[in-house]
Amino acid sequence: MLILDRVNKTYPNGVQALGGVTLEVALGEIVAVIGGSGCGKSTLLRAISGLDPATEGVIALDGESIKAPHEKIGIIFQEPRLLPWLKVADNVGFGLGDRPKSERRQRVAAALNRVGLADKAAMWPRELSGGQAQRVAIARALVPRPEVLLLDEPFSALDAFTRADLQDHLLDLWADAKPTLILVTHDVDEAIVLADRVLVMRPRPGRIFAEVEVDLPRPRDRQSAAFDFVKRRLLVALDRSLERTAASDTEIKAEAGAALWW
Amino acid sequence: MSLAAMTLAAERSPPQRIAAKRWARWARPALGLVLPVILAATWEFVVRMGWSSGRLAPPPSVILATFVDLARTGELQRNTLVTLARVAAGFAVGVVVATALGAATGYFPTLRRLLDPSLQALRAIPSIAWVPLFILWLGIFEASKVTLIAVGVFFPVYLGLMGAIQSVDRKLVEVGRTFRLSDLGMVRRILLPAVLPAYVISLRSGLGLGWMFVVAAELMGASEGLGYLLIDGQQLGKPAEIVAAIVAFAIVGKTTDWLIALTAAPFLRWEDVVRQT
Repeated sequence: MLILDRVNKTYPNGVQALGGVTLEVALGEIVAVIGGSGCGKSTLLRAISGLDPATEGVIALDGESIKAPHEKIGIIFQEPRLLPWLKVADNVGFGLGDRPKSERRQRVAAALNRVGLADKAAMWPRELSGGQAQRVAIARALVPRPEVLLLDEPFSALDAFTRADLQDHLLDLWADAKPTLILVTHDVDEAIVLADRVLVMRPRPGRIFAEVEVDLPRPRDRQSAAFDFVKRRLLVALDRSLERTAASDTEIKAEAGAALWW
Repeated sequence: MSLAAMTLAAERSPPQRIAAKRWARWARPALGLVLPVILAATWEFVVRMGWSSGRLAPPPSVILATFVDLARTGELQRNTLVTLARVAAGFAVGVVVATALGAATGYFPTLRRLLDPSLQALRAIPSIAWVPLFILWLGIFEASKVTLIAVGVFFPVYLGLMGAIQSVDRKLVEVGRTFRLSDLGMVRRILLPAVLPAYVISLRSGLGLGWMFVVAAELMGASEGLGYLLIDGQQLGKPAEIVAAIVAFAIVGKTTDWLIALTAAPFLRWEDVVRQT
C-alpha cells in the first residue's frame, strides 16, 4: 500500500508545486494522473520516486517513509534513457549489479524475451527504434521486480501505432507480477485504456481536483460506448480543472461533480 | 527474363563490381597524395636539370639519403628515443595532474570556484613564457624540459575533462540514482563511461601540444633529441638534416596519436558517430 498524506513540495525559488496531495493506492492498482501542463503531475511522480523528495507531508510505501530512491520503486521516464555505452542486455541488467552473474544473465534473458527483443540483446542502444528502446527501458525497470512502477509520460514521444502497441504490452507485463502502476500522462485515451482510476490535477499549487473510476473490463475497446462515456466525464473534469476563475476549489468541485453525475 | 538469364546476369557482374570497389578503396586515399608527389617530383626534376642548386632546399632524393644515413649511424634512433622519452615523461606528469584537478573541479563545484579562476589565469600566459623561469628554477637539463611539456599537456586535458564531467547528461545520472548507485558506483558506471570520449579527445590534443613544446624545449638548448638535430642542421648548414628531423617528428607524432586512438577504440565502439571512410 502506497500512502501520501498532505504532501507539499516547494522549490527553493518559492514556487509551490504541490499543495496538500493526499492519496492511497492499493498494491496492484493502476492509477493514471492527468492534468494541464504545470499542474504538478510530474513533480508528484518524482516525489514518490524519491528523486525529488517532498518538502512536507508523508509518502510511505508499506509503512516505510520514502525520502530517496527505493528498491521497491521503479521508474520509467518519457525518454528511454538507456546508457549508450552498454549493450541492450547490460542495460536491462543495470539494476541487478549486486546479483550473481548467472542469475543476472537468466533474468535479463527472460525479461528481453518478455518484451520481444531477445534478438536485440547484443545490440547497442543507438541501433534500436524509439519503440524498441522504450521497451528495453520497461524491461530494465521491471527486472528488479519493483512493487511500485512509476511512469512519467512513457509513450508520449512515440507515434500512435507504437503507442497503442506498447500500452497493450504494458498491461501484459503488468499481469505477470501485478505491481502498482502510477502513470502520468496527458493522453486521456491512454489513461482510460490503462487505469483503474484516473486522478485529475489542478495547478497553483498542484493538487488532486477530481477522481474518475474506470470500471471497464480489460482489454478495453477504445471504440465502445462505455469507453466514450468515461472519456466524456474525464474531459469535463479536465476542462473544469483548467478554468482560471476566481471560484474556490469547492465550488468548482461541486460543479464538476454535478457534471460527472450527468 | 528467365530465371537462368537472371542468374547469368547476376553472375557476370560481381567480379567487375568487386574490382571497382577495390580500386575505389585504394584510389580515394591516394588522391590526397597526388599534390605532394607532383611537387616533390617537380623539385627533384628542377634540381636534376641544374636549374637550381638545391643547396638550401634539398630535393627529395637528398632528404631520403640523409634520413637513411642518420638511421644507419643510429643517430636518428637515439635522438628520436631521447625526444620520445621527454614527451612521454611530460605527457605522463601533465595527464596525471590534469586528470586529478579536472576530475576534482568537474565533480565538486566548490573546488571549481576555488581553483578554476587561478588555473584559467595561468592558462592565459603563453606557456613558452615560462621557459626562463623554469630554467632558473630547474636548471637547463631534463627537469625544465619535462616541466614545460607537462604544462603544455596539462591545459587541454584539464579543460576537456572538467567540461566533460560538467556536461554529463543529468538524465543518465538520474538513472543511476534510481538504481541507488553508491558514489563510487555512480563514478564507475555512469560518469567514467560518459566522460571517456571527450577525455580521449583531450588526451590527443594534449599530446599534440606535448610534441609542440618538446621542440620549443629542445630548440632552447639540448645536446640530443630531434630538436637538437634541427639546431645542428641549422648551425652546420645542413637543410636536409633539418627536413629529415621534421619528417621524424611527423612520423613519431602521428604514431603516438594513433596509439591513443587505437587503445581507446574498443571502449568507444558504442559512440553514435559517422564512420570515417
